[in-house]
Amino acid sequence: MDQLPPSLEQLIQELSRLPSIGPKTAQRLAFHILRSDRTRTDALAQAIVEIKTRIGYCERCFNIAEGPLCGICASGRRDPGLVCVVESALDVLAIERTAEYQGLYHVLHGVISPIDGVGPEDIHVPALLERVGGGGIAEVIIATDADIEGEATAVYLSRVLAPIGVRVTRPAHGLPVGGDLEYADELTLARAMSGRRAF
Amino acid sequence: MHLIWLELRNYRNYGHLDLEPGPRLNLFLGANGQGKTNLLESVAMLALSSSPRARRDAELVGPLAPEARIAAVVESGSRRAEIRISIVIDGERARRRIEVDGRPRRAVDLPGLFRVALFWPDDLNLVKSGPEHRRRLLNQMLVQVEAGYARALARYARVLEQRNSLLKQVWSGDQPPSALEVWDLELAKLGGEIAGARGRAVAALREGAAAAHGVISGGEVLELEYQGPPADLLSAVENSRREDLRRGSTSVGPHRDDILMRLGGRDARGFASQGQQRTAVVSVKLAEAELVASMTGERPVLLLDDVLSELDGDRRRALLESLGEPGQVVITSVEAEPFPAAVIGSSVVRCIEAGRVQACG
Ligand SMILES: Nc1ncnc2c1ncn2[C@@H]1O[C@H](COP(=O)(O)OP(=O)(O)O)[C@@H](O)[C@H]1O
Ligand SMILES: [Mg+2]
Ligand SMILES: [Zn+2]
Repeated sequence: MDQLPPSLEQLIQELSRLPSIGPKTAQRLAFHILRSDRTRTDALAQAIVEIKTRIGYCERCFNIAEGPLCGICASGRRDPGLVCVVESALDVLAIERTAEYQGLYHVLHGVISPIDGVGPEDIHVPALLERVGGGGIAEVIIATDADIEGEATAVYLSRVLAPIGVRVTRPAHGLPVGGDLEYADELTLARAMSGRRAF
Repeated sequence: MHLIWLELRNYRNYGHLDLEPGPRLNLFLGANGQGKTNLLESVAMLALSSSPRARRDAELVGPLAPEARIAAVVESGSRRAEIRISIVIDGERARRRIEVDGRPRRAVDLPGLFRVALFWPDDLNLVKSGPEHRRRLLNQMLVQVEAGYARALARYARVLEQRNSLLKQVWSGDQPPSALEVWDLELAKLGGEIAGARGRAVAALREGAAAAHGVISGGEVLELEYQGPPADLLSAVENSRREDLRRGSTSVGPHRDDILMRLGGRDARGFASQGQQRTAVVSVKLAEAELVASMTGERPVLLLDDVLSELDGDRRRALLESLGEPGQVVITSVEAEPFPAAVIGSSVVRCIEAGRVQACG
């Protein structure tokens, strides 16, 4: 089975680039797609093309948005004086599910990680400083993950935000230590958000 | 602490092993290369979550399938738990999955459930080998008795990697020196936790090791002293920045620790004789099992891999005497020769041949 048709080989290659998909799984998925109905595969391809053309990032908070602002920034019912900094748009979803939090977000799209060549300039830190420096924000909650990179990013942010004179907090206990915010259950997350403490 | 049941599937040279060890002494005999160390390694994994000798998890997987499995029932106090560890090869990588009573567990959260004290032939050179061996001795013990130690160790290793990578980027001008500050802080915080635990461990081992050494050697004085990082680790890290930038690596922190071992007042690391070294090693190992027992209220399962034949005289006698203490012991040996009849008589004796365990004879 070394000689797969090039187009199939290509699909396997692309699939194996996806997170948590190893070469074996990629093969299985590719053969599954090959055997699937034409309408199903067209719908999948179409959906992938659509999200890249229709969905972009919010100008203010970098959450995913279908337009210049995301639904949260566009809503008039959120507290603009409260900003929660998260690693990814998935974390926004997780916190929104708790229905506890009424402020806005700032999505970094990454964390500081020298091994991966990622410094503060490579995630949306400059935009955050500009946003907070612009005034009207009373508190910044830093809800990066509790792993080392998330922790280091939180410490970094607390230090660069301090001179601006804004209150900086971190969600308290309850976050899975060393774990992903994305996987925390709703109750735990709600408690962590309401029990946040100053840096 | 007891190992009640052990099952291996496609683990190194074991196709399928199903074993119920006895509650006290278990003696496994076998020629070289038959799987004695492999067996003890698998038991050690239940306690440490990683192999004490494999460099990569993939080494553990046998030839029958791309997956190796260890399953066991262990008993701590009156509580039983079922531990399952599976190593699956997927492409270049090997993934380790751990379950306790059917629920997934992170590798850093497994140690402490089942506790062992290891004594491997490698340990015989403990006094004169590199400091990493002495740090490993402390680590293997501490992950099992100090909550949070395994996690701190894993996080510390990650901080070191990040900081070392950043040092090179700062040196080449890609990042400002101020970028090091947060990593210095994390390094000092975690490094302080690790050093604290190690310092307490050495202090607690000191007396037991000295007593055992005194008895075996007929009065020689063994002193252990933890050589850790400076108390104000953060300042030390900050002060070494220039040097670290030049080297491209971190020069202070518990990854540079050692245990100073003195015999009769002199540093033994350089020039202990073979006999002195082995006496000290046996003494430290006996003290370790004793300490774990007193810290947890329960004797760890003692795993002795082919070490008795390497010892003689009073050292062998001291080790054999400790086998009289209550608790489960698993010993491997090429021959039954070093064991007195009384030990053989009270042991479950089995023979290992090409990855199969059977009655001897
Ligand atoms: N992944 C593996 N698959 C199959 N056999 C293995 C694997 N790793 C080690 N072995 C075999 O295990 C044997 C060594 O077993 P070991 O337990 O170290 O022996 P000993 O009885 O001398 O302690 C060797 O024969 C080696 O080939
Ligand atoms: Mg061996
Ligand atoms: Zn927005």
